[in-house]
Amino acid sequence: MALLAPYSKIPEPNTATVLVSSQLRCVCVVLTPKHLFIATVNYQLAKFSGPSFRLVENEEKFQSKLADAIVKREKDVNVNVRLACRLPLPVENGETRPRVDLVVFIVNLLFERSLQVVENSLNHLSSDYFLGKVCFMVTDARCGALAQERLLSVKKLAASHRCPVICAEHQTEDGISMAASRLLTILKVSAGQSPLATTALYLSTLTRCTVPFELYED
Amino acid sequence: MADLSDLPGLSSDGFRESFVSSGSGLSNRSLRVAENVRKKGETNPFQLALNYLSNVQEGTVVRGNDELERNLVVVETVALRHGLSPDAISLLLDLALSLRAGGVNCLRILKFLIPASVVPQEAIVRCVSWLCVGKMTINAQVLFLRWVLTVFDLIDCKDQLRSIYGFIFSFVTEENLCPFICHLLYLLTMKEHVQPYRVRKLMDIQAKMGRQPFLMQLLAVFKVFRPELVTLSVPSRMKTGFKNYNSTWKAALSAVQKKNRAEVMADLRLSVELKGKSTSRKRKLHHLEVPGFSSAFDTDSERKVCCLQELRSFTQLLQNIHNIELPTQMGSLLGSSLALQYLDCVQDESAFLRLNFWLGHALQEEFLLCPEEGGSDSLSEASVFLSKILSSQQFLQEGFFSTESFLYKFLSVWDGSLLCSQILDLLSHIPLISSSYLRVLVFEPLIQLYFTSNVFFKCSIIECLNSMLHKWLTWQSVNPLDECIDLSVNTNNTVTMTLSGFIDAVTELVSFVGRLATEGLRLENCHILLLNHTLNFYETVCDMLVKYALPVVIMPPAGVFYPALLATDSLTVDRLGYIMYRYRTNLALAKKQEQKNENTFHISRTTYQDFNKQLVAMVNCLWNSKPFLPGTTSEIDVHLSKVPEYWSHFDLVHHPAFFKYAIEFHQKCWPERMCVDLASIKVGRYRSWYMEFLFCQGFDGLNDFIQVNTGQSSSSGSSSL
Repeated sequence: MALLAPYSKIPEPNTATVLVSSQLRCVCVVLTPKHLFIATVNYQLAKFSGPSFRLVENEEKFQSKLADAIVKREKDVNVNVRLACRLPLPVENGETRPRVDLVVFIVNLLFERSLQVVENSLNHLSSDYFLGKVCFMVTDARCGALAQERLLSVKKLAASHRCPVICAEHQTEDGISMAASRLLTILKVSAGQSPLATTALYLSTLTRCTVPFELYED
Repeated sequence: MADLSDLPGLSSDGFRESFVSSGSGLSNRSLRVAENVRKKGETNPFQLALNYLSNVQEGTVVRGNDELERNLVVVETVALRHGLSPDAISLLLDLALSLRAGGVNCLRILKFLIPASVVPQEAIVRCVSWLCVGKMTINAQVLFLRWVLTVFDLIDCKDQLRSIYGFIFSFVTEENLCPFICHLLYLLTMKEHVQPYRVRKLMDIQAKMGRQPFLMQLLAVFKVFRPELVTLSVPSRMKTGFKNYNSTWKAALSAVQKKNRAEVMADLRLSVELKGKSTSRKRKLHHLEVPGFSSAFDTDSERKVCCLQELRSFTQLLQNIHNIELPTQMGSLLGSSLALQYLDCVQDESAFLRLNFWLGHALQEEFLLCPEEGGSDSLSEASVFLSKILSSQQFLQEGFFSTESFLYKFLSVWDGSLLCSQILDLLSHIPLISSSYLRVLVFEPLIQLYFTSNVFFKCSIIECLNSMLHKWLTWQSVNPLDECIDLSVNTNNTVTMTLSGFIDAVTELVSFVGRLATEGLRLENCHILLLNHTLNFYETVCDMLVKYALPVVIMPPAGVFYPALLATDSLTVDRLGYIMYRYRTNLALAKKQEQKNENTFHISRTTYQDFNKQLVAMVNCLWNSKPFLPGTTSEIDVHLSKVPEYWSHFDLVHHPAFFKYAIEFHQKCWPERMCVDLASIKVGRYRSWYMEFLFCQGFDGLNDFIQVNTGQSSSSGSSSL
């Protein structure tokens, strides 16, 4: 069982990969060949290497919409979105897979299973990822008391791994594009694409989740 | 709607019919209904089914009774699709609660009892009498009460219900019913209902069951009406105590209401409508329970009360202000400015309490926890709703605490774009809270959103926090805090905060923004817009002592100060000059106050030191052309700096922000010169001419700064405090 490690591969110049997966319906749709390259742009200096960017998530529709939004948003860097339903990733195309710069776990708070899959998947990440290259995205957070409870456990999980939690409104266009732009912000930093001297670790100290203090329980 | 017309209950005639009959006695109701049916709808299966159901007698065999089953199904289908007329409601309620159709069917009927328009209160009163008979199972009783709570707003009037308050109250001892009964009582309680023996009873129950939220809510209302009777201390910000609404009913109800709205509105002739309120909120916000308000003190006499909705002008309001009856649905107050004016000058605590309760519930249930109907429809609805709250809050110049606690919850699930402007506006209205709560409830969620967002969102966060600070300061200067004072306008909202607590909260806010700005500017490469929003904030901060008499001076962090000082646009530097000038004024005042009397809060020594450091750095940089020199706080390693004479590159002549002015000045002075030698500006009288030239361009902040700190002509005079 291969551990996914961020630094085991040399980054490709000017590309990025996003991996989106769907764990509720089928387990086997991993690594759809969804290399969504944007034809860029020669003026981009070759100094940029491409961030690879993975979403592990459970709703195909949201996944692909989000992937599209991310790719369309980013004009300077080739962002490459890949989909997966869970970790570990299959061994077969391990060779051709680009370096993954950010792993995003998408948790649908309506489904208990969604959180369980994410919890299991975390074991297959190398510890290097937890220095700012993992983030959680939750959907359906405004969906009743049960979702609130699950959100709390997601936050606890994220806090224990020093990761940020991003809430997404996946039903509206605006919500998706906002989620995409947030992920891109993190991605660019974690892939070293940010023009400023900021590291993923540093950004994660600013954005990481802290265990919420419950003042009003309901 | 075409198929509705053949349902007698829903056709307009049916309505009128039912309205007449709801006022008349109970005994002839079924007769009239039957007659009505015979006249109108012999062939209508729904009517036939109702007809059949009304004739179900005690002791009818239920099990295996296909005919009963068939008729129930007919009624159920219609009910879920179109809702039931008032008559049908009362008929079915009677059938269900009398258990004529058996216990199972009782539950079943209750579950599809969706009113199309209103619920006649007689039916409810009759049901309470069935409740008193005590034959129903606990399940059925609970279900019935929850149904009443769900449709409470639709009950046509409540005076008779209020008159059987005592009966309803007696159920409070039933442990299983208690939460629901408390909720119902909460909605019904008037001042005359609050009696010593009732309070005693509730206290007994509380001793037995513990501090249950529903009991506390009810006691809070009691306390508002008769504070002398309830000695218990009620927490100021209670979490919403009742969770008794049933979402399936709600969903069905709102679906039916949406469908029927047009017709219902036409038929009921609800006279006052909320202008600009989206109509699908109408159920919750329809302004009125127009029919007969029970008089609050004496049910027999005809006391002259004025309903708010009857008033048309402010003069009328003034004339009747002593005997105004509030509408039963407090949410309707939000829609009318007259009502808000009334609320503002009367400061009716029960009104505030109920309004907050309603508002909290609406926000929580309708918005926070129900994204199902995630269409743009409900979003625009929510945005209108929030704007309404916002304008009410602005009108009253205070926030509702239910909005506040909603915001805290919402922030933790916010994606940062949903209703962004309204949420941030509402956020800027939150009243003062203690610094620890502020950190946990507001700052923690915001910080994650802030650092993962784009520069424009960052700007709006800073702007929001600036306006929050503004409001706090204004509030504090209007209601100065002594050692310990009641912060709240309403006593139900008692937050006591001392001046030092206030200072703590302000300090927390300012240092939080300092952190956000420092890191944000770094991440955004000193974006000019973000820099200016940050300076906006510090313009508020630097004047807290002079403008708001708050003895706090907090200097901007280096991460804000230096980017502003070395900015490439002149306005930013000018604003920084103004801010430093104001800081100086404030600190001078603080020093004077300190010397005068000992008791005031002291500005700490380090603040003065920080100020002096920044002042020296700024004067050295702009005026003396020796920044970053060894020995100063902002020292640059000589070996690292490859720029020759780097110290002279940020004075007023060479500063990138003023470069353009220097060139222009140079050209004006020596038009014949071919090569530009800016150093010649710094010599002799040219220098003061240049300063004059610069200040003529409108750099007033800089002008103030230079005049105060350098005494104009001298080139060495950095006077520190």
